[in-house]
Amino acid sequence: MSRTDALVEADWVESKIGQPGYVIVEVDEDTSAYDKGHIPSAVKVDWKTDLQDPVRRDFVDKTGFEELLSKRGISNDDTVILYGGNNNWFAAYAYWYFKLYGHEKVVLLDGGRKKWELDSRELSTDVPSRAKTSYTAKEQDASLRAKRDEVVDAIGKRNLIDVRSPDEFSGKLLAPAHLPQEQAQRGGHIPTAKNVPWSKAANEDGTFKSDADLTTLYKEEARVDGSKDTIAYCRIGERSAHTWFVLHEILGLPNVKNYDGSWTEYGSLVGVPIELGEGK
Amino acid sequence: MSQDGCGAPAGGVTITADAASKEAVVEGRVLRGATPVTTGYARLRGSGDEFVAEVPLGDDGGFRFFAAPGDWTLVVLAPGGIRDERVVSANIGQITKVEIAV
Repeated sequence: MSRTDALVEADWVESKIGQPGYVIVEVDEDTSAYDKGHIPSAVKVDWKTDLQDPVRRDFVDKTGFEELLSKRGISNDDTVILYGGNNNWFAAYAYWYFKLYGHEKVVLLDGGRKKWELDSRELSTDVPSRAKTSYTAKEQDASLRAKRDEVVDAIGKRNLIDVRSPDEFSGKLLAPAHLPQEQAQRGGHIPTAKNVPWSKAANEDGTFKSDADLTTLYKEEARVDGSKDTIAYCRIGERSAHTWFVLHEILGLPNVKNYDGSWTEYGSLVGVPIELGEGK
Repeated sequence: MSQDGCGAPAGGVTITADAASKEAVVEGRVLRGATPVTTGYARLRGSGDEFVAEVPLGDDGGFRFFAAPGDWTLVVLAPGGIRDERVVSANIGQITKVEIAV
């Protein structure tokens, strides 16, 4: 993969509004954002109620994903254009999810909702009506997703990239600073993890930095070892999906996984090692 | 808005009196004259200029952060190339209020 395969600009997206074969999808944590105004013709996906199993902590399964996309009127051959708020965190998470279930043609709008709004581009409150489809997903691609035992085993062996803020990484905060801090789990990070906050990969308007800047960030500043496999994690796996997108889709690094259990799982495991402070 | 996620609702998470006594809160509003700026973003950066958090502005132009104690850089972005940057301080048990005119 490369930037041109995975990332699209707003002008291109505007040219695809209402075009057959293209489905624009807004993915937000806060779905009231969609309801207040969205890119014309866009359909809505709620990262939690649509993409998470309602009982277990896991994704919706293959059947659930097929039902979701069928209901949204998305066909296997459609090009899905994803965008969302929070600097595309949840849109990147959905992108990773579409890839997990084998959707071939999926792209991400650079800058997402934020850049679209800051550019004063058109937003609509009209909810499109799309005919139901019969979507068929593939089995989950395990090469893109890390689970807890694999993460514990990766300590000291693979690149572990903690993409949370420095204060979350050090254990000073347990959640991002716009959220209350009461949490049940321990603070800190996985030993040997490097702290490369997701935000270092993004410009202030939410667009991704240039390939040259991203290469400098990960290979030179963070000294990510290109000869090793990589696992990215954050608190619940959406910010790390943003970093997974940068490493795997923009920079084209092979063998990059997202650990969606992330710190809310790891920081609650009994007996696993935890490191505090700035890291080594 | 679920707090299971890491994102922020427009305006920031609602605060209770109990939470206010335990948290270091920075909150404020963005106004154009007397009119709230409802499309835009407030971002908090740390002492090393690193990103800490960001919230979309609320219907009242408001934003709220639960920070650690200390000094922070607050940046507001809005359509039309509007950008405001200033230093704010947060202290446990206090709500630091900021009003930004654009």
